[in-house]
This record gives sequence, C-alpha cells and structure tokens, in this order.
Amino acid sequence: MRVTGTERNVGPDGRPVYLLGVEMAQRYRHAVGSSSPFYLGLEQGVLRATRCTGCGASWFPPRRFCEEDLTETDWYDLPGTGTVVAATRVHSPPPFGGIDPPYVLASIRLDGVRGGITHRVIGDETPEHGAAVTVEFIDGAPAHPLLAFAFAIEGEAP
Amino acid sequence: MTTSAESGALVAGVGMTPFVGFRDDASVRDMVAEAARAALLDAGLSSPSPVDMGVAAYESDHFNRQLSLGQVLSDTVGLTGKPVMRVEGGGATGALAIRTALTAIRSGEARSVLVFGGETNGRSVDRTTAIEILALSADFEWETPVFGTFAAPYALMITEHMRRYGTTAEQFAEIAVKNRRMALDNPLAHRGMSITVEDVRSSAPLSDPYRLFDASLLSDGAAAVLLATGDWVEQHSPTFTERPPVAILGSGSATDRPRLSDRSEEMFPHFAAKRKAAARAYREAGIDNPPDQIDLAEVYDSFSGAELQAYEDLGLCPVGHGGLAAADGRFDQGGQVVVNPSGGLMGRGSAVGATGIAQAVEVVSQIRDEVGGPRQVPGARIGMTDTHAGVGSLSVVNVFGRVG
Ligand SMILES: [Zn+2]
Repeated sequence: MRVTGTERNVGPDGRPVYLLGVEMAQRYRHAVGSSSPFYLGLEQGVLRATRCTGCGASWFPPRRFCEEDLTETDWYDLPGTGTVVAATRVHSPPPFGGIDPPYVLASIRLDGVRGGITHRVIGDETPEHGAAVTVEFIDGAPAHPLLAFAFAIEGEAP
Repeated sequence: MTTSAESGALVAGVGMTPFVGFRDDASVRDMVAEAARAALLDAGLSSPSPVDMGVAAYESDHFNRQLSLGQVLSDTVGLTGKPVMRVEGGGATGALAIRTALTAIRSGEARSVLVFGGETNGRSVDRTTAIEILALSADFEWETPVFGTFAAPYALMITEHMRRYGTTAEQFAEIAVKNRRMALDNPLAHRGMSITVEDVRSSAPLSDPYRLFDASLLSDGAAAVLLATGDWVEQHSPTFTERPPVAILGSGSATDRPRLSDRSEEMFPHFAAKRKAAARAYREAGIDNPPDQIDLAEVYDSFSGAELQAYEDLGLCPVGHGGLAAADGRFDQGGQVVVNPSGGLMGRGSAVGATGIAQAVEVVSQIRDEVGGPRQVPGARIGMTDTHAGVGSLSVVNVFGRVG
C-alpha cells in the first residue's frame, strides 16, 4: 500500500474535507482446483466436461460431484460444437485484455453435455439464435487461458 | 394495532443519505451514521440503546476498503455490545439484510433490529478500478475472463427476449426515460434527467442492444430501517402512532444458476429466482393479483430491459407483455402500479449495500404519504421492493403495507 497524495476541500456545510490517495495492488495464486483438467485440456486443443459415474448426468461447467446424487464424476471430451442461444457485440475489453473491442459474445449450448458457456465468437458477425458454432483454438499465448479458444459460426439458424 | 405475529414486523423508522457520485466529505461509516441516526430519530428515539441488534449491509470489501466493516458500522451507529451480523447478497444485499432482520423478529430472537447499509460505489475509485472490481461479480473462473461488464449478460438475456416476444429497444428505452424523469422530483436522487428515447438510443454503445443510458448509476450512499415488534414500538417509539402504521407484509428469496449459460433455454430471458421470491412474498402478504393490489414497486432497474423483464417475473404483467407495458404508461406516475417513483437505480442511483434499503425507505415514505409533490403516489397502501444479484442469481422481494 502506498499514499499517493492528499487533497483538501471545504464541504457543502463548511466542514473541512481531507482526502488520502491510496494505491494497493494484489497478487494471487488462484487455484483452479477441480477445473484443472479442463484448463490442461485446453493445451491439448479439447474442451472437457464431467459425467456422473452413478446416474450418468453430465456437467458443464464441470462439477467434481454430481448435483443430483453427490457421486464423484469422471472427465470426458466434448465434440466442441454447439448452438447459439443469444449473442451480443460488446464494446469494452474483458478485464484480462486479450480481445480488442468491439467483439462478439454468445451464450452457447454445448453439444454432448447439459449446460453451456458464455464465450467469444470469431469475426464481426453477430450470430442469430440457433446458429451452429464450432470451437477453434487460437495460436499464440492468450491473455487468459480461457481465451485460448473461441467459437466459429458454422451454419445459419435453421 | 396489528400484532407483529400477524404482520411480521413493523417499520418503526427509516432514513437515508442523498445518493451522489462521490461524497468527498464522508466515508462509508459517516454515511451509514447519517442514515442510521435519521432512522432512529424518525422512530422518535433519543438514543440507540433500546435497539436489540444490528444487521449491516454492504457488498464489497474492495469498494469500502475495510474488512470487518460490520462491527465498525455497528460501533459507528452506537450499537456496541449488541449482536450484529453482516449480510451480503450482491445487488440484493440491502433487501436481504431487511429479510434477515425480519427473520430475527419473527423468530423472537430480537424485538427490534436496526438495518443499516452503505457503499462507496462512486468515484472513490477510477473507472478502470471500478470495472475491475465489478468484474469479480461474474464467475471468476468461467465468465470474468471473457466479459468485464454486466452489460454483456444482461444484453444476452434481452436479445433473446426481443427475439421471442418482439420486444424492441425503443420499449426499454422508455424505462430509461421514465426513471430518470421520476428522479427529477426526488431531492435525494443522484441524477434526474429529462431525456428522450432518441437520446437513449444514440448514447454510447455498451453491449448491443444496450447503450449508456440503458445502464444504471454507481453511487455513494447509505440507508437504514428500524424494524420492531408491536410491543417494542408501543414501549419505545412515540412517533409510531402519529402516522400511518407500516409493516412488512411478506418477504421471499430464491436463487438461480449464477452463470447465465447454465440456465435452461426456456428460462433464458427470464429471472426464475425473481418469480420464486415474488410468489413467496405475495403468498405471505395475501396478494393474488399483484397489479391490482400493489400501488407502487421499487424494481431493480440495473438495466432498462431488466425492469421490463421484472414486470413479467414479478407478475405485474403477463409473460411476453413487458415491452407493451413499458411503452403504454401503466407503470408510470398515474398508472396502475407506479414503478420506481424514487428514480430507481438509473435516477436515484445505486450504492449496492444501501440500494434495497433505500427502496424500502421510498416505499414506506410513500405509504405514510410523506413524500409529497408530484412523486407522491396518491393513496398508496401496498408497495414492494425487488432486487437481485448478478443477472438474477439471488432475488429478494419484500412487500410493505399499511396496517391500520
Ligand atoms: Zn449423478
């Protein structure tokens, strides 16, 4: 922490006003924990989900324990295809950077699993509800591991 | 007088600070002290000592720069020695604190509870820092890396609402116009404005279809309410019988999947938790026809379209009719249900921990017929507050009404 300066002013009722400039920076080692196999899968160009070893329910984002019966789950690979529920053009960059605005963001139902993901769609076109999309892995070092992939529009809405 | 067992809890006092862009003369504890003192004086108390316990409402340690703030605020408002608990529920924090106080009174744990909330969401941090902190409200592992502002998930929801029901950007822009106009009559409002639908549609794009004027404000502010049993009020609050008595008639809360894309496709453009919270609160309050029985509603207009969606999910209009309702004036001053006479988050502003409490202050003041001027809803007897966290991950609905 660091004091960057002070300010003085007079309040609306004549009371004195004094302000401190303060600077703080935090650094973390953020454990991705039970999602670690998903992040490692990204390095191999695959999206992964979990499936309950008891009732067979599938989960994305992956859950370690099945919500239905509390049984431990196993990992499996997803086909990487999905369908757009809704999409928007976003006019500010994401917090970790790595994407220049404007960019297209969509809520995508993923094939082969119950659940979906909100993620980036490649290109300038905002896809319609029902459009088919396929994951693409992007070359180079992403600003955040989750930005190592995005979705490409494969087909028009039916 | 209605007993507290029948009514839940009586509202003995209310108070709030102005909501502003930046209070350079006050820290969060100063603002909470102002609001809490106002609520205690409103109840006719000359000291905080008769109050049994405190509930502190604030969302963000990052914005307030103080851990263990619950105890600091409790000390600041004069409740040292009494129990206090800090309540957090994202955008629903203030309303959840009121609901928590209600449960304490219903259970017999306390006969009087002072609820106080505040936040410095305004310009004590620069824009970049504010965006970085607020981005932590999204799922840090799955969402924050891909979108930094809540305009994006709200935009996804309303885009699907538009496709499914024919809702238009001009319809929700009407809400942005209405709430800013209502705020012009509220002296405590952050920023009332006289703007047009064209002004909304030509403001800076945030996340299509949302533009700058579709979004709400980030404010500095605090608010407080004092809840109590009938016995306690008779013993300690000389002002209670001097004006229309107000009680909490019902309260409901529910949760939904925090991540928008985890939700069912059927419910994608809707706030499922809001429906459940409202159903519970209405059942307790004996409300079976909300638009006919509710006189005013303070609704969570974090984005203009979110208010439109809330009309439907709160049962104020049929599902799919929110767009029509936004444009036909039925929720404007003089309409069937006056929605956001305070100006809402767009006009009065939003200081997260205080927001749901400030809504209650407005509703109680309206039912007491104390607001006056063009903002007063004539003959208001029943009013409700609606807030949610994230894009509806947690919802709280509180219903207030005149009890005599
Ligand atoms: Zn299972």
